[in-house]
Amino acid sequence: MNIFGLTFEIWVVALGLLVLLADFWTPPAHKWRLGLASAWLLFIMLLVTWRASTNVSILTFSQSYVIDGLALFFKRFFFVAAILVLVMTVGFAEKLGTGLAEYCALTLFALAGMMLAASANHFAVLFVALELITVTFYVLVSFQRRCVQSLEAGVKYLIIGALSSGFLIYGIALVYGASGSLSFEVIAQKSASLADKPLFLLGLLLIFVGLGFKIAMVPFQIWVPDVYQGSPTPTTAFLAVGSKAAGFVLLLRLLQFVVPEVAAHWQKLLMVLAGLTILYGNLCAIPQRNLKRLLGYSSIANAGYLLMGVAAMTQAGSAAILYYLSGYLFTLLAAFTVIAIILQQTEVEDITALAGLNQRSPFLAAAMTLAMVSLAGVPPLAGFFGKFLLLKAVLEQGAANHAFYWLAGIAIVGVVISLYYYFGVIRAIYWSKDAGVLAPLPIAWTNRCALLVCMAGMLYLGILPNRLVELAAEAVKSLRLA
Amino acid sequence: MIDFDTLKFPEDVAWIVLLLPLLAVFVTTVFTRRDAKLSGMISIVAVCLSFLVSVGLFVLIGATEAKSAASSALDWISISGTDGVSIELCLLLDPLSLLMLLVVTGVGAAIHIYSYGYMHDDPGMSRYFACLSLFTFSMLGIVLANNFVMMFIFWELVGVSSYLLIGFWHEKASAADAAKKAFITNRLGDFGFILGILLIWSATQGDLSFDALHARLATHPGALGPLACVAGLLIFCGAVGKSAQFPLHVWLPDAMEGPTPVSALIHAATMVAAGVYMLCRVFFLFTVPAAWPVSLSFMQGFTALDVIAWIGGVTALLAALIAVQQNDIKRILAYSTLSQLGYMVMAVGLSTAKAGPTPAMFHLVTHAFFKALLFLGAGSVILALHHEQDIWKMGGLKKKMPVTYWTFLIGTLALCGVPPLSGFYSKDSILALAASRNVALFIVGLLTAVLTAFYMFRLYFVALVGRERSEAASHAHESPRVMTMPLVLLALGSVTAGFVGVEGVLNKVLVSSAELHALPWHKAILAPFSHAPMAALAGLGAVILGFSIAFGLYHNAATDPLPEKLGFVARAMRNRFYFDEIYQFLIRCAHEVASHAADWFDRWIIAGICVRGASSGTDLFGRALRLVQTGNLQTYAFLFVVGVALVLWFVLQ
Repeated sequence: MNIFGLTFEIWVVALGLLVLLADFWTPPAHKWRLGLASAWLLFIMLLVTWRASTNVSILTFSQSYVIDGLALFFKRFFFVAAILVLVMTVGFAEKLGTGLAEYCALTLFALAGMMLAASANHFAVLFVALELITVTFYVLVSFQRRCVQSLEAGVKYLIIGALSSGFLIYGIALVYGASGSLSFEVIAQKSASLADKPLFLLGLLLIFVGLGFKIAMVPFQIWVPDVYQGSPTPTTAFLAVGSKAAGFVLLLRLLQFVVPEVAAHWQKLLMVLAGLTILYGNLCAIPQRNLKRLLGYSSIANAGYLLMGVAAMTQAGSAAILYYLSGYLFTLLAAFTVIAIILQQTEVEDITALAGLNQRSPFLAAAMTLAMVSLAGVPPLAGFFGKFLLLKAVLEQGAANHAFYWLAGIAIVGVVISLYYYFGVIRAIYWSKDAGVLAPLPIAWTNRCALLVCMAGMLYLGILPNRLVELAAEAVKSLRLA
Repeated sequence: MIDFDTLKFPEDVAWIVLLLPLLAVFVTTVFTRRDAKLSGMISIVAVCLSFLVSVGLFVLIGATEAKSAASSALDWISISGTDGVSIELCLLLDPLSLLMLLVVTGVGAAIHIYSYGYMHDDPGMSRYFACLSLFTFSMLGIVLANNFVMMFIFWELVGVSSYLLIGFWHEKASAADAAKKAFITNRLGDFGFILGILLIWSATQGDLSFDALHARLATHPGALGPLACVAGLLIFCGAVGKSAQFPLHVWLPDAMEGPTPVSALIHAATMVAAGVYMLCRVFFLFTVPAAWPVSLSFMQGFTALDVIAWIGGVTALLAALIAVQQNDIKRILAYSTLSQLGYMVMAVGLSTAKAGPTPAMFHLVTHAFFKALLFLGAGSVILALHHEQDIWKMGGLKKKMPVTYWTFLIGTLALCGVPPLSGFYSKDSILALAASRNVALFIVGLLTAVLTAFYMFRLYFVALVGRERSEAASHAHESPRVMTMPLVLLALGSVTAGFVGVEGVLNKVLVSSAELHALPWHKAILAPFSHAPMAALAGLGAVILGFSIAFGLYHNAATDPLPEKLGFVARAMRNRFYFDEIYQFLIRCAHEVASHAADWFDRWIIAGICVRGASSGTDLFGRALRLVQTGNLQTYAFLFVVGVALVLWFVLQ
């Protein structure tokens, strides 16, 4: 047993506890410093992760915990996401009231869960990690206790989440029953012989359902718009980026490391679900006027694009997912940071809140525009290159299975539809006539920094993608793929 | 990039001729835009140097016995493989291009110098000289091009620079319209030209250099197959546009909106001559056995040259008729130019493979001198009368503007074809050719000659002599030296170009057999009367007839007597036979129909079904789907479970 494998998780949890303790002695006016300090500490930890080697995979705790390229990639990803979300939280402090420290601590606990998920190599660890994420999010979603919508969102997330956890744990039980083990390593060795056992398949499908809930895949997407809308904006952002990515790392590990022999037969299912998810998210976003709901539907659509990479069942496809998620991280956090800043001034979450933003703050207008353009997949931004890699991975499989051509076609139709509502946001920013307030928007320097980082990230990944493409390709080597 | 060891002398000196004006464009646009005088000087120096180098080339290469020379070639596009293409930039130097080089740079230099005086007070003088140099560069490119692609590029550059120059005073609506009209009409012809080039390209697997094409057609006359005549006529389309032949002649008179030196350079001496030059350059294309595709079998029995000859003849006669009733001095000269270009094209059409298009080129050269002279003289008059262009407001200029008067008279006599001035010889060579080939066209040529003498002397009697017809005319005074010097130089050219051996030079390249008749000049003066006496006498008679009528009608006339005598006919002539109105009507009709059809298609098919249909369908679908999100938790949980059931069914069915 090697306790040092868990170093980062332990640090993060310790940091969370430290924040809770420090809260007792910190006067309310200075609580925001706690958030910022934890962001700094996370940044230092992020730097430390570069000391770890990506080539060797380390198995500890009876092979139930793994540190390999994939795990490290996602740990870094979650670090970046958490840092940006904490910075956003600091800017959002007024709305969260006195509970800022708790909020930061919960964010850190969720981060620990996500990092654990990245390294999960055992169904028990998988379940614990997921529950750690989900349970902290129950609180984070309903954090604005005086706000009805926030509470409603919390309840909905709790109940649907509990339902999916039920399916998940049931599925784990069935898998254990069929295979006699919960260890990924063990099941991976047996999976070829287990592939035609209905009980095993049923168990896996139920686990797939549980993960599908996390990544907001059709038909388990139903909670997304309501929860995204009701949650405090930093929560929405973390949910959309972190929680979704945690779902994907587990999905990748499960389908492409543990049971690739089974998943090979599921390509049709994955393709159908990917296509439906893309269409559902994009179509529903069209008439949407609420900004956070709009991004909720957009998040469903993006889950669909990412699922295409899973369906391809190739290293290129999985590497494309990693790349896409990284671009999505900067893009979405930029959008949510802008929304958080605007929502501090107004209660209206409608798209009309953006009217006149160009006059109120050209910087915010530029950041939001860049984010929308990147989400729409226009070069030279990160969103374009991610979509390009995903489509390339899918089209490469087209020769073997013509259905992939259809999937690519649906994805392109989805992108075309999405242009409409993403550019609707840009139109509201620059050309909307009914701007009520035109007073300049104050932007905290923390938020300004976060936005600059996000914009730089979008542009860097879009213009100089090589470095990250190599990293992603390196990271997926631990999966059992062609 | 350039290997100086492999440069050839003197052939590669031609690059200097070509690039000097371009350098002037660069310097005048980038550095000296604010200093109008300096820009003008740079431009003038460039073209004069070009002229001097051209003279040097003419002497050096003319002294060699080789029929032609070529400069070093620069590879421009080269694609290897079975469908490979190789296009090089190379300058062709044969007597034809050398002679044309002299005309373009020589007349060009005179006009550049004249412009310095004419445009003296214009605020856009720098721009003017930049455009003028650009034009010179483009025109030299056409002259020196050794392949179709290069020629086409410079052909278009000439179009652009003439657009810039015609529309030089673009703040005037009429000038801007005229520039557009010239450009668009030229584009129509150029469209045919490039189709012809592509046709030849495909028929000969990429042989586009004139020499290679000539050699191939000499050994395989049937290389172009049944498309020989079509290809020839498509190429001719380019000349129809640029040389303003019927039915694309309408742009040239309007182009007179440009500054007068521009009219002289572009629309008399060089650009419009480019079409005729091009026809002479590719004359070998027209001498292959005539063949038509099946769909055009009714043309059997005619050759492409017949079509060219008749279009030239029609243009010559038509333009001469119109010129008779114009009152704007520049328009009279413009229609006269059209008419003379028609003459040249007719001469090309009548030429035989054996004799080559010498008469056309001969007339081109002499015409360049006297028509440039006439335009510059007209410009001198116009400037002296404060931009008055109506000939009925001029008169009595003999005493006040002696140099302009005498040089203009020389130009008039040369244009009418009075021996021993240059026009007589070139016109006579065309008439003699027509007489030997086609009597109908000979009569057309004679009629045109009568009309030419008539309208030119009408212009002379009304505008130059007699009493002053306006206040401005009585206060006119001679133009400055910088403007009269070019007039004198061009007058000298107009007098002598006929018998000093232009024809001999031309024969050297255009005649395939070796029967050169190099006569000493004193014998050359009277040569036409011994060579083809009938044509020479008829031509002389035509001049005398035209002069007599003009003398009778217009000597000391106060108003134009013709409208009363001819009535409707005169009105039709004055209105240019309503060509513009007919085109306007036809284009408007076609345009209306096409635009309505396009509008309908766009409104209903594209915007209606394709765009709005797709978008509202998607929108509706999105709205319907949104109804799933009821917000009701029980429904959500139910849908979740239904989803699970569906996924399980999908895999485990």
